[in-house]
Amino acid sequence: MSQSFNRGTVEDFGRWREFSAGMWAWIFHKFTGWVLVGYLFTHIAVLSTATQGAELYNGTLQGLEALLIVRFLEVGLLAVAVFHILNGLRLLFVDLGVGLESQDKSFYASLVLTGAIVVASIPTFLGGKLV
Amino acid sequence: MAEHYSSFERKGTRWLFQRLTAVFLIGVLAFHFMLLHFVNHAAEITLAGTTARMSQFGYFATMWLFLVTATFHGVNGVYNALINQGLKGTQKQAVKWVLVVASVLLVAQGTRVALAMTNLV
Amino acid sequence: MSTQIEQETETEESADESVTEPPVESPGDRRRQQKRERASRLDEQRRVEEEVSEDEETVSLKIFRYDPEVEGKEEPRFDDFTVPFHKGMTVLDALIYARDHYDSSLTFRHSCRQAVCGSDALFINGRQRLACKTQIGDLDSGTVRIEPLPHQAVVKDLVVDMEHFYDQMEAVEPYFDADDLPDDELEEQYQSRENREKVKMSTRCIWCGACTSSCNIAAGDNEYLGPAAINKAYRFAMDEREGEQRKQDRLRIVEQEHGVWRCQTQFSCTEVCPKDIPLTEHIQELKREAIKNNLKFW
Repeated sequence: MSQSFNRGTVEDFGRWREFSAGMWAWIFHKFTGWVLVGYLFTHIAVLSTATQGAELYNGTLQGLEALLIVRFLEVGLLAVAVFHILNGLRLLFVDLGVGLESQDKSFYASLVLTGAIVVASIPTFLGGKLV
Repeated sequence: MAEHYSSFERKGTRWLFQRLTAVFLIGVLAFHFMLLHFVNHAAEITLAGTTARMSQFGYFATMWLFLVTATFHGVNGVYNALINQGLKGTQKQAVKWVLVVASVLLVAQGTRVALAMTNLV
Repeated sequence: MSTQIEQETETEESADESVTEPPVESPGDRRRQQKRERASRLDEQRRVEEEVSEDEETVSLKIFRYDPEVEGKEEPRFDDFTVPFHKGMTVLDALIYARDHYDSSLTFRHSCRQAVCGSDALFINGRQRLACKTQIGDLDSGTVRIEPLPHQAVVKDLVVDMEHFYDQMEAVEPYFDADDLPDDELEEQYQSRENREKVKMSTRCIWCGACTSSCNIAAGDNEYLGPAAINKAYRFAMDEREGEQRKQDRLRIVEQEHGVWRCQTQFSCTEVCPKDIPLTEHIQELKREAIKNNLKFW
């Protein structure tokens, strides 16, 4: 063998049409995980205004909440968090060796449940005065 | 892979803590969302309300633990994701220490903020 | 197909005739001989086309081709082949047909043709499968797309370099190695029925490499042991006849940073395994076993 052809890892995500439930669950879990850890840092940064007194804190929080885009981003954050929680529960069961045969169904269930919870929460998130 | 297996590196601890923190976080994150979006509407949050909550010892302790476990769970998750992508050698060490420093800073700043939210300081 | 067989027998007969023919040839004999040769040449040329056209059903193959040693073939490409279809035909049958009838340079590994040797794991229609175990009738799409196993370097056409996979398998010391041997070394070492049941599925591995090829983590982290090797470790770690000390050694191998902990429970390996080994389940059990084992020492 003089040389061999390495097809690299490009095919991994180029072949997304061929992914199965477990693979999608992993991708979504990882994506939501990145979002959540990113949010954690941002969250603490925003809350840090509390050290500068009530005026700044209240002004910042209410100023952000007054923006419609922030409200939508919060719905997105809820979706991300709920999915991460539900799929996380699924993964805990997988780690305990419970229900491995129905891991695909539990993934679909967590997707559907996430959707339902998010839709049900939209009024609460978008409602309330936008000042 | 096939080359060298040392018997002194047991890497199961981080895996176990990732699961243990997950169990805690599932409950606390859900509680956090309920409390600050449904019970108290996010738009109506003021420092006075925050201080009232944070001055209760149980709530303060829960939130602080929330911060620490979430930081570990999140940063460890990022680290694992990078190892899964094949990160190794000097790069791996560099990333590891950057993540450790970032976590320490986050927890320190988070603690500072949490204390400022109480009426202790 | 039936006509082809008849023609072949005819050719054989004529060949026999020419051998037994008397040395003296009349011009008529020569003419007839030439005519026969011409006819058989034409037959050869047309045979393939006829076979395909006479058959009502055909199947088209799209096969990955690559040969670094031949000029003009260094760039990977896909070749199309149309082969006659018959009921029960496997992808391996189709490949063999294509090689024997169209292009003898088409290269792929195969041996036992009955899903035991594990040499013909290929990437068929976007999934790792054994070519000999996959019936074309079971595949959804009309065209069968055949590629070498992903995440392994391609040597030629459908042949991949398995060296790394074998290294990983060897790394878990895949052989029975008991702490204590019976006094008489030839004495049988019995296993309890329950214990046999426990390791039963894990013993079915045929080293085809389909699972490791399907694993997203193994693709990214080259040091990861991979599902096949961890399953092998499970097979022996769970075998009660080996004894406690050997089990500790085995757990120490799989609980490395690039051992069981890298598994992200994507279930890709479990889904593609041609022998239906519950690989993810075995990896998960080893994780728990390693944790429990370490907790004991605290």
